[in-house]
Amino acid sequence: MSGQWRCIEQLERDPAFLDRAAREFPMLAEALASERAGTPGRRQVLRLFGAALAMGGLAACTSGKPSGVLIPAVRIPPGLVPGQPDHYATAHVHAGYALGTVVTHQMDRPIKVEGNPNHPSSLGATDPFAQAEVLSFYDPAREAQVMNRGQPSDRQHLLTAVADARAHMAADKGAGFRLLTGTVTSPTLAAQIDRLLQTWPAARWHQWEPFSRDNALKGAQIAYGSAIDVVPHLDAADVILGIDSDLIEGVPGWVRFARDLTSRRNPTRTPHMSRIYAIEPAPTLLGSIADHRFVAGPAALHETVMAITAAILHGGSTASAPPWVQPLVDDLKAAHGRAFIHAGPDQPAELHALIHAMNEALGGRGSTYDLIAPVAHRAEAQSDSLAALVADTQAGRVTTLLIIDSNPVFTAPGFAEALQCVPRSVAITGEADETAQACTWSAPMTHAWESWADARGHDGTATILQPQALPLYGGIAPAEAVALFTDPFPSPVLALVQATWKPSFGGDFASAWRSALAAGVVSNTASAKSDAKLRPEAARATPATPPSGMRISFRPDPSLSDGRYASNPWLQELPRPFTKLVWDNPLLIPPALADRLKLRNGDLVELSVNGRRMTMPVWMQPGQAADTLVAWCGNGRRVAGLHAGFDLYPLTGQNATATVNKAHGTYRLASTIHHNLLFPDISDVVKHATLQTFQTRPNFAKEVERPEIYHRHPPGPAQWAMSVDLNSCIGCNACVIACQAENNIPTVGKEQVEMEREMQWLRIDRYYEGTPEQPTTFFQPMLCMHCEKAPCELVCPVGATVHDSEGLNVMVYNRCIGTRFCSNNCPYKVRRFNFYDYGGDQQRPAVSWNPDVTVRGRGVMEKCTYCLQRIAAARITADRENRHVGPQEVRTACQAACPTQAFTFGDQSNPDSDVVKRKQSPLDYELLEDQHTHPRTTYEALVRNPNPKIAETRA
Amino acid sequence: MAAIFGPGANLAAKLGLVGAAALTLAGLGWWWGSPRTDYKRNDNWFVDQTVPFSHAHHVGGLGLDCRFCHIQIENAATGSMPPTHVCMTCHSQIWTNAKLLEPVRDSLANNTPLVWNRVTNVPDYVYFNHSIHIAKGVGCSECHGPVDRMDLTYKAKDMEMTFCIDCHVNPGPRLRPADQIYNTEWHRTANTPSPQALMEQYHIPSRDLLNCSVCHR
Repeated sequence: MSGQWRCIEQLERDPAFLDRAAREFPMLAEALASERAGTPGRRQVLRLFGAALAMGGLAACTSGKPSGVLIPAVRIPPGLVPGQPDHYATAHVHAGYALGTVVTHQMDRPIKVEGNPNHPSSLGATDPFAQAEVLSFYDPAREAQVMNRGQPSDRQHLLTAVADARAHMAADKGAGFRLLTGTVTSPTLAAQIDRLLQTWPAARWHQWEPFSRDNALKGAQIAYGSAIDVVPHLDAADVILGIDSDLIEGVPGWVRFARDLTSRRNPTRTPHMSRIYAIEPAPTLLGSIADHRFVAGPAALHETVMAITAAILHGGSTASAPPWVQPLVDDLKAAHGRAFIHAGPDQPAELHALIHAMNEALGGRGSTYDLIAPVAHRAEAQSDSLAALVADTQAGRVTTLLIIDSNPVFTAPGFAEALQCVPRSVAITGEADETAQACTWSAPMTHAWESWADARGHDGTATILQPQALPLYGGIAPAEAVALFTDPFPSPVLALVQATWKPSFGGDFASAWRSALAAGVVSNTASAKSDAKLRPEAARATPATPPSGMRISFRPDPSLSDGRYASNPWLQELPRPFTKLVWDNPLLIPPALADRLKLRNGDLVELSVNGRRMTMPVWMQPGQAADTLVAWCGNGRRVAGLHAGFDLYPLTGQNATATVNKAHGTYRLASTIHHNLLFPDISDVVKHATLQTFQTRPNFAKEVERPEIYHRHPPGPAQWAMSVDLNSCIGCNACVIACQAENNIPTVGKEQVEMEREMQWLRIDRYYEGTPEQPTTFFQPMLCMHCEKAPCELVCPVGATVHDSEGLNVMVYNRCIGTRFCSNNCPYKVRRFNFYDYGGDQQRPAVSWNPDVTVRGRGVMEKCTYCLQRIAAARITADRENRHVGPQEVRTACQAACPTQAFTFGDQSNPDSDVVKRKQSPLDYELLEDQHTHPRTTYEALVRNPNPKIAETRA
Repeated sequence: MAAIFGPGANLAAKLGLVGAAALTLAGLGWWWGSPRTDYKRNDNWFVDQTVPFSHAHHVGGLGLDCRFCHIQIENAATGSMPPTHVCMTCHSQIWTNAKLLEPVRDSLANNTPLVWNRVTNVPDYVYFNHSIHIAKGVGCSECHGPVDRMDLTYKAKDMEMTFCIDCHVNPGPRLRPADQIYNTEWHRTANTPSPQALMEQYHIPSRDLLNCSVCHR
């Protein structure tokens, strides 16, 4: 079958699947059966109806007496206007690196995160983790208690234990003391660690991130003799080659890199479209938007990359390599000074060294990328560092171990046993996690919004993190924890941070401090360019040939990272970019293996890695190399983590070959991939073409001219509309979480998702084209289209969904009686129904909700409102000032969060508005145009720029 | 065997039918009418408070402006209650030992907020914004009534949806000059600009005020 498909059942035209797709609520019968005890007869149904009527009657009898109380503050903070948001800059620190953010406060409580336009890693956008931080901040399960050997204790007793440790350290110069942290970029924390190591010269500091970038670090050491960071400038790159690359999904600064990369992807806005090649064993986001994606297992990848290296560095022949290698090499060479190659963290250090050599040979240094001194403090190979710590521990050389914001008991196999040998271990962690439970002492760490701190972004730019709220549960800040081991009475954290910046802020410290806080960045702190010279060893590096056989690649869960976000329900229920799985992490297998072992999604297999076995379900991932398995780590937490998924860390730690055997039984997996299908027989939902086609037929996406006569012209002063650029969407999900946070969207849990009851208003549909072995991937954000002739409005018996004069399709919750006719009649399948009181069931404090958005009750339909609350705020401000709403005054939550500016929103009746310009693009098209719904949300068709010399199936 | 139905049966049956109909009608009437009573809507029934604050004394008697206590009302969506600190602006100087004001003093001393019982309430799905109504010439007393004469505060208007809609259909007659917004005893006089003139002055309507999305989100 040609055309676009979402899952293999659809491609194979499985009758059960088609039957399911044809029904609006396919799980309804099953759900009813499972929710009722026994099979109720007609009489019981009538009884239930009667009870419902009686209850409805009772509900109508509430008196008009206003309930509730009003509680004003004793003192109101200066400048606070009730109901008006405030904004304070800070940063989201992930694995050490800062992503500048601005937190929105309502009545002094944080409710929403936006990107900080001043911050070079953000430029105003965020990733999904930063968006979800607001829910983590209010998590009632955050660690709140100092614990000693499993018994509640208090801070005083902990300080006594620390004092005892200090006495020991004074005696042996700290020989028995070890500090374990993640990657540290914070200048203040680094200063405290350095001071500790100076005070106790025999003490040691170890770093551990489960998904470290050790290979890149070692590669840089081979190539330049020392650790070095690469800062790509992808807006300057004409040709980009990604080798199993996480350039736009995991590398520090990826939010910025995605912006730069996609700035060269829409041919109507860039004069010279870039070309992206990807060679990878399993799908990555970079591969999904690449013009050429080559699937290559570890062995094939090695051979191919060595051929490319030989051709670029030594003028070697590519005769033995696949036919596409020579045109690729020619393309890279032709783009001298405008090419960039990137390899992912899974690739060996020698390969990273070769890539440094190739990038230098291709002349990109200074134009497509810069080298800077490492942003991380004392960057080191973290797996070696942890191994040294484990060895010291087992040898009994460690008497005191301080672990700060790291969870090695969960993420490092063997660490828990080693920890048993330490007489005094102290864990300072954000939640009561596995490590906190295994240590003799544990204490809550302050959340990044509760304490002063600082951190650096991918290019070295520093941000001072100011507290957003008083600590909800008390706690110890990381810098304070380190300081306590040198000084019985350390300065407050604020003083520690200020001491860091006092020397560089110069004379007028107070105003420099205030402006750094207000801007969210400390100016001129980006790292200087390094002038390191490439060593000849780089070009001679030879990566070891990977052994043959089935290889397993351990990767961080796309939604949970290494497990640090596993307690966040928004992220657990965030459909992973390719599989759209939620709440689980099955083993991802290539379609070829599934065929061979007769496996279907959800079948159990026995996975064996170096003798360690595990039974777990599988999921077929199209586009995965036939000899590659992908295992997401991070789920399956034993404590905290919401009890979802499988813990795969015990299998990690070795360069492993894996075997898979079919086991008995199946496991229910929840994936949204087959939910909300548009008409199942539509084959070109995502319209796309090659650059060549676009140049000859720029209007390829517009099939027919619509008769203008049917247009509706609402009379309002503004006409809201949106344009979504499919050339920009990378499927990263930042918009989905941003929408969830802004619009009070509840999570529903795995069982409800299985019944197709997920509530996210914005989803990103993923389509494939081609064969399961080598598909082309498309992402398409789907949200309410705000049709001018909306099918939903016609069928609502109570007028609960109607049009307003500004072209919005509004949903009036208090009118809705829950017939769900609207959802049935929506061709885009963007409406969501509250089958239960999901909103009321959320485990989050009332103060964490967005007060400007209704929390919907049971039995009510809901859907994207174009962030009506933001529109309303803008029009009230504009009306108060007797002016029109400005062309760029309203930004929807998805638009603000999007790293690549795929969304443009605004008033389409205002010619100055960006959305007008976007809609004038020849690529602009309406989804399901033949339905004549005249949607206000339109898409810009996808254009790809394949190399004409590479014959390929990709259209 | 005697007849089952005696001579009075017809009458009894008729009375029974009429009675049933009357009962049904009365029930329906009660069902329809009772939520519309002032009692049910709590209109004109004062609400007990911890501190028996009198608007009649403070506004009517002393002539305090609404904005003295309801700060930021020109910019704020919600008409917030004054912080304790505002009460104590005066009451740290006068009536410093009054028994009535003990909860206020305690609040400041212990840093615990005062708790006021709600007088008016609109449902959660209604997003009323005070600032825009003030900016467009709707005076406080249009919705809150003669606050300056209330010893204990009560709800003066029913605040049902029709109450809002009546004004959104035709705002003109309810508008007043900008300098009279906080005058709770204001009445239209011969010198008042016409409703049309006021509408023009305030640029109303700048949009269709009957759209659901104006109040509901």
